[in-house]
Amino acid sequence: MTLVFKQETFRDDYRYSNSPSGIKRFPFPFAEDQYMYSVNIEPHGKGKQGSVNEFAFDVDEHYVAECIDKGITLEQDPGRYESLPHMMDAQWDFLELTMESHAQDYPDHFTLKKNGLNWNWENKPLGIKDSFVFGDCSTLPMDPFEYMGRQVQGDFVLLDQRDETLYADAGFITSQADWSLAFNIGMSWKEWHGPVPRVTELGVMDRALKYLMNLQLGSPVRRLNWTMTINPRLDTSPENYPFWGGDRNKVNKENVSDLVHLRVELQALFRLPRSNGIVFVIRCYLINLKEIATYPRWSKRLHRVLKGLHPDLIEYKGLTKFHPLAVDWLSKFDDGATIELGTQPE
Amino acid sequence: MERGYWIRSKPVYTSLVWHDKATSHLLVAQGDGGMAVLKIFQLMHPKQPITVLYACNLNSKDYAKTLKKVVPEGLQILNSEEDVLLTLNNILPNMSMGMRLYVAGSEGFIWAASECAKKFGIEDTDIMKELTGTLARSVYCVHCKATTHDITTNIGKCCGCERMLFVRDHFSRRLGAYMGLMVDAESPGILPEIEEIYP
Repeated sequence: MTLVFKQETFRDDYRYSNSPSGIKRFPFPFAEDQYMYSVNIEPHGKGKQGSVNEFAFDVDEHYVAECIDKGITLEQDPGRYESLPHMMDAQWDFLELTMESHAQDYPDHFTLKKNGLNWNWENKPLGIKDSFVFGDCSTLPMDPFEYMGRQVQGDFVLLDQRDETLYADAGFITSQADWSLAFNIGMSWKEWHGPVPRVTELGVMDRALKYLMNLQLGSPVRRLNWTMTINPRLDTSPENYPFWGGDRNKVNKENVSDLVHLRVELQALFRLPRSNGIVFVIRCYLINLKEIATYPRWSKRLHRVLKGLHPDLIEYKGLTKFHPLAVDWLSKFDDGATIELGTQPE
Repeated sequence: MERGYWIRSKPVYTSLVWHDKATSHLLVAQGDGGMAVLKIFQLMHPKQPITVLYACNLNSKDYAKTLKKVVPEGLQILNSEEDVLLTLNNILPNMSMGMRLYVAGSEGFIWAASECAKKFGIEDTDIMKELTGTLARSVYCVHCKATTHDITTNIGKCCGCERMLFVRDHFSRRLGAYMGLMVDAESPGILPEIEEIYP
């Protein structure tokens, strides 16, 4: 399968849209009319052909533009990539996993040739071709984790497992929904999720941690998470909040369906073989309300979910200012008819 | 704040209590932390070797005189918090397995001492900590990455970029600081009331 990569921007003029097929395969997260946190983890097995779950790492039409945007973000703030010194094994694990997956699943675009520890990697869409010695950092232009972090869509956290918990000891974070790697690096599972409201009562984090500590090699898992973002902006970091926070004031009745984007994170977790660490992949998909309305099933569903959303979550997800406008715009699609369980567009 | 709401990254401090299985004890204290040291000696004078490092500060009572009477051995009175940390750094290489570390003072001091101990493989969960004298916070600005010390209000000015920062209850042990986030990014110049809540 040969993909066509779009020329897009995720900042300034925001030249971004989803093609009709991109809309159809969007990972819409709401199977029901209500939403609350749950341990919605499932095996990250091979999904339907063309779906975002077909392969371990999904490469889509936004690939090249997203990698360019990563480069801009890192250049402005090198602190978006950080790795504590004991994470080098996990770094090589990450490189191996991502190179092998991409080369196997998208052979038209990526190739990996191995001759013992001498590896040749070619990334055609980004025009990268390198030879290096696996395990020898001096043969790569940068840390292995940063090297591949720049060439794979999404954000990545490398988790170290010790003291019966998981520590976020390395990260490559350029498209985060308002959390700071520089602040959170080195934190344990509980500290890191500290600010998420409601989950303590629900016991969600304890159960998820227990589950992940037992994650097996070769049996990755995934879940969806979501929030909403004004403009198709990948870098909604707290670091740059002064530059994007004000966009929330720009939403009005006329532009709400263009500006307000549903931001879905496909979160996948893989056990790593050498380090016994875990890579936590947070892949971001963006779609605006207008594109969602392509499918009445989705606009109706989203209307009901947003309308009934717990006030704490409206606040935590930063929706307060535009939530009524979004609900109002979506209401015109909702005839009140029952929608069967499921996230499918039609 | 909603009742029952609690951010899990905020450290919990207790009173210093002796670890009776320790092979030696190292206590470091600053300012009103001197009182915490006196308190723990009220509990017991342990048999194992003891080292105590103490410096008073401008805002606190000076406990040096009383400490000299109470601490049976190994007391070093130092001139400043910096000297305590420097001395800690110098004596840790000579300590052996089984030594327990106790820290008492302001939150900034506690985490500066933890950071120092970490270099020698002592995890912060193994350090006994007592917060004394002040609730003042160190605040890390996520925008410019500067840390501003001794903030006693809900909103404080960043010493680096001068933005007004909301002090979030989210704490990083590695940075020894709370998260500071620009408070008026969405509505420039409009600030909530500034109140002293960490006196």
